[in-house]
Amino acid sequence: MKKLLLLILIPLFFSSCHDEPSYQNTLYGNFDALADIIDRHYCFFSDKNIDWNEITEKYRKELNEETTVLELFVICARMLDELQDGHVNLSSRFSTSYYRNWWSEYPQDFNLRTLEEYYLDFNWFTTSGIMYKQLPGEIAYMYYPSFSSVISESSLDYIFAILANSRGLIIDIRNNGGGMLTNINTLLGRFIDKKMIGGYIMHKTGPGHDDFSEPYPVEYQPAAEGHIKWNGDIVVLTNRSCFSAANSFVAVMKQLPNVKIVGAKTGGGGGMPFTSEIPLGWSVRFSACPILDADKNNIEYGIDPTPGCEVHASEEELSQGYDAILEYAISLLKDNPLPYPDEEEE
Amino acid sequence: MNHLQSKARISFLTFLIFISLPLFSQIESKENQDRPVTGYYSLEMGRTTVRASYLSPLTYSGTSYGISGNWSKALPFCPENAIMNFDGSGAMSSLLNPAKTAQMIGLIGEFSWSMEWRKRLNHNFQVTAGGGPSISGGAYYLIRNSNNPVEILANFSLQINASASKHFKIGRLPLLVTDRIRIPFIGVFFSPGYGETYYEIYLGNHKGLAHAGWWGNNFRLDNLLSVTLDFGRTAMEIGYHLNVYNQWANNLNTTIISNAFVIGVIPHGIGLKKRSRANYSIY
Repeated sequence: MKKLLLLILIPLFFSSCHDEPSYQNTLYGNFDALADIIDRHYCFFSDKNIDWNEITEKYRKELNEETTVLELFVICARMLDELQDGHVNLSSRFSTSYYRNWWSEYPQDFNLRTLEEYYLDFNWFTTSGIMYKQLPGEIAYMYYPSFSSVISESSLDYIFAILANSRGLIIDIRNNGGGMLTNINTLLGRFIDKKMIGGYIMHKTGPGHDDFSEPYPVEYQPAAEGHIKWNGDIVVLTNRSCFSAANSFVAVMKQLPNVKIVGAKTGGGGGMPFTSEIPLGWSVRFSACPILDADKNNIEYGIDPTPGCEVHASEEELSQGYDAILEYAISLLKDNPLPYPDEEEE
Repeated sequence: MNHLQSKARISFLTFLIFISLPLFSQIESKENQDRPVTGYYSLEMGRTTVRASYLSPLTYSGTSYGISGNWSKALPFCPENAIMNFDGSGAMSSLLNPAKTAQMIGLIGEFSWSMEWRKRLNHNFQVTAGGGPSISGGAYYLIRNSNNPVEILANFSLQINASASKHFKIGRLPLLVTDRIRIPFIGVFFSPGYGETYYEIYLGNHKGLAHAGWWGNNFRLDNLLSVTLDFGRTAMEIGYHLNVYNQWANNLNTTIISNAFVIGVIPHGIGLKKRSRANYSIY
């Protein structure tokens, strides 16, 4: 009988010997939950040389028995800002915290109204969230403001068919705050003839700050036979507000020999975010999986333009209808020969 | 000539099939009388709590609904002592976090087959023990999460089954009280990495996703306590179903506990009312 009892209890013993943290729905309980979630899951502590214990202790001291829920939110938000990461948000029913310094301390280098009025003449095509048009001088131009817009293969076929007879292609992703990484492959597939390793991805394997998997290659495939490809020169326009998936796109495009990155350094966002929550019901989003470029460098801090191609568009010039970054890109491409010469020239 | 020959062959085969149909049906009918298939068809409603650390450190709870079927039959080589079972079930649940600010949707299914050894004891008491393979899978989807929106569960295991039942009468109504337990003891199960996105899995990184399961990292207890009222041509089951599941892998923990009220129907009864017609019923 004792043996039977032992046999029944053994599995219960094994299944209960792992401990998961448990949090209380109190002022300190919520604060500690947030601190602990970030401590166990955030992926850039070592890269950014952040002493999280020191930070949490500092902000925990700001709590007292009279701290309101709103004050708790503000304290927690300020604590999260110490991570200096645009992928970190604390969301409650009354507000979402957001670290803005990654772009707010830099020039914008872009004005949508200037683009629409002075370069697109309020007249352009749009498909899959991409605005496109052939600019004067036979320059193909695409503006893709968000990787959240799913790019379809058929849309790209139409775009490249319409823009086919152009000297070069400008892909403008200024102010593109990211979205779905899968769109990178769809777009990139039109520019490559064989599969390529565009970068690497890692993930945390445990709660330790340096518990990471081996980098896993991110392979990109060329578009399937039958789809229209672009083989000419490409200029990608960037500004500080290119973030997350847009940042990854720039990192991949920069490897191609026929591509130049023109504009300002991107805003970074090289960690795929996870979401968790604290007992109060607030959700917290944070970088969880580092994305590396093809040389296994961290892209969290942004991608520099191609050497010699850093250009800024001042607010004053933009307000007068002059986009220095776009003008520079046009100047790079304007002397290229057209891919399909006129019959008379032949 | 060949055409005529083939036509004759087809006619002969058709004749044979027609001749043998009643014979087969007679055999089937006889077999069904000797070893009837007892089929339970049940609906469940209850409460489920889920704590899946891949999705959230908080425990979600809410209502769950399920449907299940169990088909049992005595085996021909040893109908007095050997019983075969096939189980299929599906459940869905709608859960909220403690603050009720986020919703989780669960969808789970399971199929299992087992063979059990049966021993009839005195006083209408019967025990069974056995085991067999089981496959289960499903997902818990936390709607507001970003790159960790779903906890996918997938299990293949060998499980131990055991039951104890006793039948008696209240007035002229036969009743059967049964407690049935299933515990997987070894198997294979899926778990993503601690901070791994499904995007990385989609890219092809399948390392560390499959885990050998045992009681230390993949414990489950499925217990059904039920009372079956046998009306003869049909029977009704009322019961309580407890399901406890705990999974540990890649520093991730998933604990699911469900308690459900069960109501079921057994279309041809369980053979207690008309005992003589079921020589080798499962009770």
